[in-house]
Parts: sequence; C-alpha cells; structure tokens
Amino acid sequence: MRVATLALEDFRNFVRQQTGLGAGINLIVGRNAQGKTNLLEAVHCLSGLGSPRGPDHMLVRSGAERAVLHADVVRGPRHVRVDLEIRPGRGNRALLNGNPVPSPRALAEVCSSVFFGPDELSLVKGSPEGRRRFLDDLVVGLRPARETLRREWERILRQRNALLRSMPRERGAAATATATLEVWDEALCRVGAELTAARLEVLAELAPYAAKRYEAVAGGGRLELAYASTWAPAGEGNVAALQSALQSALQEARERELERRVSLVGPQRDDVVVMLVSAGDPAGEARDARAYASQGDQRTCALALKLGEHDLLSDATGEQPVLLLDDVFSELDPARRRWLGGAVAAVDQTVLTSAEPDALDIGGVARVIEVRAGELRDAQ
Amino acid sequence: MFAGPLQDLIDELSKLPGIGPKSAQRVAFHLLKAPADDAAALARAIVEVKDKVRLCRTCFNVSDQELCEYCRDPRRDATVICAVQEPPDIVAIERTREYRGLYHVLQGAISPIEGVGPDDLRISELLSRLRPTAEDRPPVEEVIVATSPNVEGDATALYLARLLQPLGVKITRLASGLPVGGDLEYADEVTLGRALVGRRSLSA
Repeated sequence: MRVATLALEDFRNFVRQQTGLGAGINLIVGRNAQGKTNLLEAVHCLSGLGSPRGPDHMLVRSGAERAVLHADVVRGPRHVRVDLEIRPGRGNRALLNGNPVPSPRALAEVCSSVFFGPDELSLVKGSPEGRRRFLDDLVVGLRPARETLRREWERILRQRNALLRSMPRERGAAATATATLEVWDEALCRVGAELTAARLEVLAELAPYAAKRYEAVAGGGRLELAYASTWAPAGEGNVAALQSALQSALQEARERELERRVSLVGPQRDDVVVMLVSAGDPAGEARDARAYASQGDQRTCALALKLGEHDLLSDATGEQPVLLLDDVFSELDPARRRWLGGAVAAVDQTVLTSAEPDALDIGGVARVIEVRAGELRDAQ
Repeated sequence: MFAGPLQDLIDELSKLPGIGPKSAQRVAFHLLKAPADDAAALARAIVEVKDKVRLCRTCFNVSDQELCEYCRDPRRDATVICAVQEPPDIVAIERTREYRGLYHVLQGAISPIEGVGPDDLRISELLSRLRPTAEDRPPVEEVIVATSPNVEGDATALYLARLLQPLGVKITRLASGLPVGGDLEYADEVTLGRALVGRRSLSA
C-alpha cells in the first residue's frame, strides 16, 4: 500500500501544508529542526494508533486546539480517503471515504506503517521497556482490536500501583485495603495473562522473519528470540495456565510488593532477549546479543527485527505497510547501508529523512521533498 | 482578563466539568446579554438545587424528600436491588422500562488513582439493607451489580461479589456484549471475547 497525498493542518510545526508522495522511495531533506521527522510521524498517525514518539497532545501545533490529517491511500485496487482529527482529551475522530468509523484504530485496517528511527536502532542494547513497546505495538499492528486489551492492561497496572502506594504500612489494620488489593490482583492476572499470551504468539510469528533478515546481512550466524519472564513458565502459551502462574507469583511476591509499594511481577517486567549464534560456530550456543554482540551487530539485529516486523505485517495483511526511516542511514556503515538500501528497494513505499542526502548512496529515489521551517516543497 | 464580576463568572464556569476557558467565556457573554429574569432564574435554580436536593436516606439517589421516588413507591419489587455508580445510571436503566426493583447508588467506583476505596463508597449502607430487620419488609433476594463495564467498574463489581457472597443473596452482573443493531465485524476483541464467555443457549 502507499500514501498518495498527505495534507496536514496544525500538526506539529505545520500550519497548513500538503504534499504528494510517490511509489518507491521518497526522500525528505532539510536542515535539522525543520520538521522532517514530523512528516514521517504524520504518515504513521494515519493508522489511527497514535505516534511512535509521544502522546497525542504533542502532535497539535501549539496554540491550536486540534490537528487534522487528510490522505489518499492506495491499497491494491482500492483508493481510500482517510481523514483523522486529533483532539487531545476529547477523543480522536476518523473518517474512511467520508464515513465516520467507530474508532480511529479502524484506520489501521487500511493504512499501516513501520517506523524506524534512532531509538529503534538501539532496540537491542536499549531498555527492556523499548523492546516491550516494540512487541506490544506489533501485537496491535497485527490485530488492531487488541489495542483495547493493551489499554485495559495499562489502566489496571496503574490502578494497582496507586493502591499499593496508598496501602497502610501497619499489618492487619486494613482489611478493606487487602480485600481491594485482591480484586486488583484478579484483574491483573486475567488481563496480564491475555497480554502475555498475545505477546508470545506474536514473538513466535516474528522470529523466523527476523532470523531470515539477519542471515541475509550477517552472511551466516543465526538470530533467535526468546521471551524472558520471571513468572511465566517457559513455552507456556495457554491463557488459563499463564493466569494461574501469575496468581502464584503474585502470592509469593506479596510481602515484597507491600514493602516496595509497586507491582513487582507481571508482563510489565518481562523482556525480549535477542540471541545470536555466531557464523563461525553454527553448532554453538546462542548467546545474549546485549552482552556478547558488538555495537554494529546489535544494530544489525535491530534492523533485522524491524524489517522482520515489516515482512510479517506484509504477509499477515497481504499489503506492505509504508516503511518510515528516520535518519537511519547516517548511523550505518557502508555495508549495512547497501543492505538496507536493497531491502528498501523491494518495498512498495518508503519515506525516509536525511540531513545529508548526498551521503545517502541509494538509487531509485522517486521523489524529493524539502522541508524548511514547516513548509513543504518538491525539490527534484 | 475582563473586569471584576465578568471574570469571576468566567472563572466559576470554567470550574464546571466539560467547560474549558473558551466555552466559559461564551456562556458568560450569553448570560450578560440574556434578559435579567433568565439570569435570575438560573441563579435561583443553582441555589435551590443545593438547598433542596439531597440524597435518599436508603438508596442515596438524588431526591427532594427523605426517600427518593423509587424507595417511596410501594409497587416496586423490594426483593431486588440494582447497584449503580451514579444517579444518572438510574435514569438510563429506567428508560428501558425492564426493571421494577429498587436501586442503590454507590456514589462512585473503586479507583485507587483517584484515591477512592471501598470505604468511600456507599457499600456498608448496601450491606445493611441486605440484613434481615424487624421492619415489615421482604428480604432482598438478588443484587444486580450494574457498575460500568470498565476497569474500575469491574473491580467494584468483583469487590461487591466477594463481600456479598457469604450473605446468601443472589448476585448478578449486567451482561457485557455486542451492541444491538451493530455489526459483528466492528466489535472489538475484548467486547467480543466477553460476549463469547457470556453466551446463552438457544436450544430449549
């Protein structure tokens, strides 16, 4: 699929702008702090699933009450008109071909994208939170309706943490507080188990795609993905079994949680471990890339994960998501640049930003758009 | 900023829920232009609502008497109590005309983030309505928990269920499921999942 035209109103630093986008590679150029990334972000928002960079209120130009995006999306033989109104605090609204949809996330069925910026490049060496978000985004990307599950989980966790913080310290003094905690325990276990099962399912689907991408660039060696959890039994994907495992883990952690006043076990503490088997020793043991791989190899893993995500979404939905690359090439060595360039060439539509387009070294650029102080113009 | 009384009015209005500074300004200027009688009627209505409206002694619904209209009505079925979060929920249920029992307004839902725990709700009052008394009234046989189907409402329902279980009263929860007249394909996964769990047999 591809985005053919995009119009922005009061989005980030754009007052009122519009631009066409071509099939193939679209290069966004301009000096720093002109709005290049904001344009990528706008394309990403067309999925109705929010920005990869922050909460909705940051998307609205300061002084404006709402931001609006209009786009023409080409999806196979279909031409679809997408309108999205971002109204922080009042709920976003979306139209498909002029008809209101029940929820903005319905747009994800029509318009999807994979965003890859400097933060994603440090996916492997970065914090577990980034890897959890990557996985949860993919859970929602594959099945947009699971956004509700994710939100429900986040709400329950916040509520339970708030309760733990307010629990009286002296034991036995608060039977009501303990009874309330048990209610939140049950909610945490029920929804936590569902979320974990969804994550495990997606991780198993992603693994072969990421491994294939890794092999292509590393010229051997093998990438494996594992779910690391202190409470979920390895290899267990059954929701009921996960729920009872989480229940007993919570029981065990009760004293510590009351002491530390925060939820200590559950999916919010889990992680994805990227493991590598080196090319020179194919029979060897898979080792944690975070600890053992070089900086360059960690980046290769991150690229393999994100391109694997793109492949998985393409196969699962029958349409390639738009690939959004934010200033990624400048961080890569020439060999990996060529590899990524080759991968990009096979994608229906890529939008990438660069502050140094001359150093980019990729062929077949369909369109160049210059961003200067929040204004867009074609620059071929 | 505007001069004295006008700015005071805008400030007061913008404290109301759902009214931002711009709406507050619009309402204030509307009142400024409106006939003096209209403005006075509004002011009187505000004063009277605080003065005369109180909470029903039994169910904590809003009322202008000691007991609300439902608690006073002898035709209502006193063996069933429907527990709701707020008085407007009663209006919603009454519109269905499907329910003839009594109500109990909890005055909120359990939400630790907002500092609302079970002790801040009218839960002990609900318990005392379930205990057998010397008064000449039939014992309560069923409590319908009609809290909202969200994280907080669910937690409140679960808390009530656990608390009421030992009393031997039948406890039910409003079903969650698909909107009538809607399309199955547009239902989100959580709603559809709940509808599946709560499915009903069609065979006799």
